[in-house]
Amino acid sequence: MLSLWLRRLSTDRIARSRKASREASQAPLAVYGKRGNADVLVAVDDVAARYSLAAGLALTQARAMHPSLEAVPENTEADAQFLESIADWCLRYTPLIACDATDDLLLDITGCAHLYGGEAALIADLAARLERAGLAFSIAVAGSIGAAYAAARYGAPGSHANGNERKVLTPLPLASLRLASETVASLARVGLNRVGDIIDLPRAPLTARFGGTVVRQLDRALALEDEPLTPRLPVAPYIAEQRFAEPIAREEDVLAVTERLASRLKLALERRGDGARRIELTLFRTDGAIRRIAAGTSRSLRDAAEIRALFVERLAALADALDPGFGFDMARLSVLIAEPCAPEQIGIGGGEHVAEMNRLVDRLSARLGSQRVRRLVAQDSHLPEIAAATMPAQRTGDGDGDGDGWAAFRQYRDAVELSSRPLRLFARPEPIEAVAEVPDGPPLRFRWRRALHEVIFADGPERIEGAWWSEHGGQASGNLARDYFRIEDRSGLRFWLFRAGLYRDLSPGDAAPAWFVHGMFA
Amino acid sequence: MIEELRQHLRRLERPAGLEDGPAALPLGMPAVDAVLGGGLMRGALHEIAAAGEAHVAAATGFATGVASLATRPLLWVAEDMCSLESGAPYGPGLAGVGLAPKRLVTVAVAQRRDLLWAMEEALRCRAVGVVIGEMRHGALDTVAVRRLSLVAAESGALAFLLRAAPEDDASTAATRWIVATAVSNNERPRFLAQLVRNRRGPRGQWILEWSESDGHFTCAAHAQPVAAPPVHRPHRQVA
Repeated sequence: MLSLWLRRLSTDRIARSRKASREASQAPLAVYGKRGNADVLVAVDDVAARYSLAAGLALTQARAMHPSLEAVPENTEADAQFLESIADWCLRYTPLIACDATDDLLLDITGCAHLYGGEAALIADLAARLERAGLAFSIAVAGSIGAAYAAARYGAPGSHANGNERKVLTPLPLASLRLASETVASLARVGLNRVGDIIDLPRAPLTARFGGTVVRQLDRALALEDEPLTPRLPVAPYIAEQRFAEPIAREEDVLAVTERLASRLKLALERRGDGARRIELTLFRTDGAIRRIAAGTSRSLRDAAEIRALFVERLAALADALDPGFGFDMARLSVLIAEPCAPEQIGIGGGEHVAEMNRLVDRLSARLGSQRVRRLVAQDSHLPEIAAATMPAQRTGDGDGDGDGWAAFRQYRDAVELSSRPLRLFARPEPIEAVAEVPDGPPLRFRWRRALHEVIFADGPERIEGAWWSEHGGQASGNLARDYFRIEDRSGLRFWLFRAGLYRDLSPGDAAPAWFVHGMFA
Repeated sequence: MIEELRQHLRRLERPAGLEDGPAALPLGMPAVDAVLGGGLMRGALHEIAAAGEAHVAAATGFATGVASLATRPLLWVAEDMCSLESGAPYGPGLAGVGLAPKRLVTVAVAQRRDLLWAMEEALRCRAVGVVIGEMRHGALDTVAVRRLSLVAAESGALAFLLRAAPEDDASTAATRWIVATAVSNNERPRFLAQLVRNRRGPRGQWILEWSESDGHFTCAAHAQPVAAPPVHRPHRQVA
């Protein structure tokens, strides 16, 4: 477990943004915020610390001590964002990262350290990179989260072997156990200041007097009790990554790497009989920025060439270019969602066409967005606009099965001899001005989109009750019963009109029911 | 003799995607098929324009009716404006013109560039039988249309360009139709279909009737083909 404490997170953030705009200054820098009713310093940089300024000092007092002090109001959101971006960047070491407090990160480097040639080498690499980024930090590796945290914060940075927790913790202050400050204060009142003071005390009186947390935190730090790490990002089931000695920048290179990584993933996927449904390509830029590109598929996918083809479309669809800066020095391909993938039969039957169609759907979805490529599905409803819906084609399967409800719809249509439905349906019914016979007659003429239509033929009404059980239908026509008519006008245009509401339901003083055009027949 | 040789040539030139049918898709009406040279040519782009804003549904009906005669999946690419202005394809209604909604994949695009790209991509896919691209008014990039024609010729699929209003621009489409709705007395839907451009034969004008139960077009009895309009003025023929 590696704990990374960024000692001067907020002042480093401000200094970094200043460096970008080339305003170097030697004045002490402090960040202040309101605590209670007073402005107090919440963070100071190294220069200010040398001038014996510290967090907790009142701003006015600090200004009096050092008139040259530069004070900046705190911005917790920007700090959190900065920490997130550092956490993203740390993904190069391990996928298991947690943001513990406002200014430190926990990296689970179990099984990752050997990739860098041991824990010490990993720490050195991380330290060199952080230093180059101009961040003040302190790193410690230990067998438990608590021990790593305590060591990083309270003066024992470096790599500590598993089982050494006791030795590491003994000289550290009790606050290093992540206890509430009141608990620490009350422990101090009875003369218990260091972890070593309580490590061998009888447990029962300690618990009785100071609550269970003290003992639990101690056990966790000593690795006697398990402490779970909550990673900030879900961990992908399959990951392949590649580091480059020389940063790559060209799109073709990125795609070639993608294909190489995909062929590596293929072996892992095949071994477990899985296929990828959602794939993410993470590109780590040399300056620490990260680019994530995800692509979905309509069926479990393993083939490297097909995965590459998906990312060709994704890259083409990116609004802003890939922007490699000085190049990417690492790429990672992770399968975010994996599903069992049935072995495919090649050749006989129409299977080939289905696969071709799926590939097309994937390509279109990758370029245009999966919400834009859809299939029609039938739903069990008598309301026309709900009876047929659309679903992203990647989620409905290949249209071969019976999951889309059309077989059921056909049965229903034949059973009740449903009158014919329009070819095109408007997204929402369009209001018209109609002259119609009262109460139940079809319109004689009506005005739609400013043109007058003279009705020469009408068929209906087909009464469709509204969704009376639901509070509000969410549209202009509400939950009222509708009388649908098939109408033909003098030029042969065929409309599907309805009247929202029935005359018999009207109470005196109500407005007459409104008419709408809902669709057009061929 | 010449016709025989032509057919032989056509058979030789048939693209790989046509193994399941002849090079032309017969509409089942001898009068129309004769003019078209056996039917609507597969592996080619056909333009179908609505005679006016209100006739888009009729043009849609004509296109889907023809598409239902082909068997393989259908891809419908539409600009966003189209489904807002003319309504989106409605599954139960499609079933009414003989097109199984199962066969349909709809694609919504924001720009014309994407429309042409998606159509081209779909035509390159061997599984797709018919590609319908629906667009609003406005000029069409002739180079892009030419590309579509070429891609369609390679794949053997039918490509339809569904336009909201007749335009008179140059095009490499094999045929260009202007479709209006015709008075049907609320029986079977009827279309007034004008063939205003035909690369392989004369022009023509018919009143077609779609029979839902049989699933094909027939020529309405009282509307024998009239002579082609003497001058080609589609913009004046808005019904």
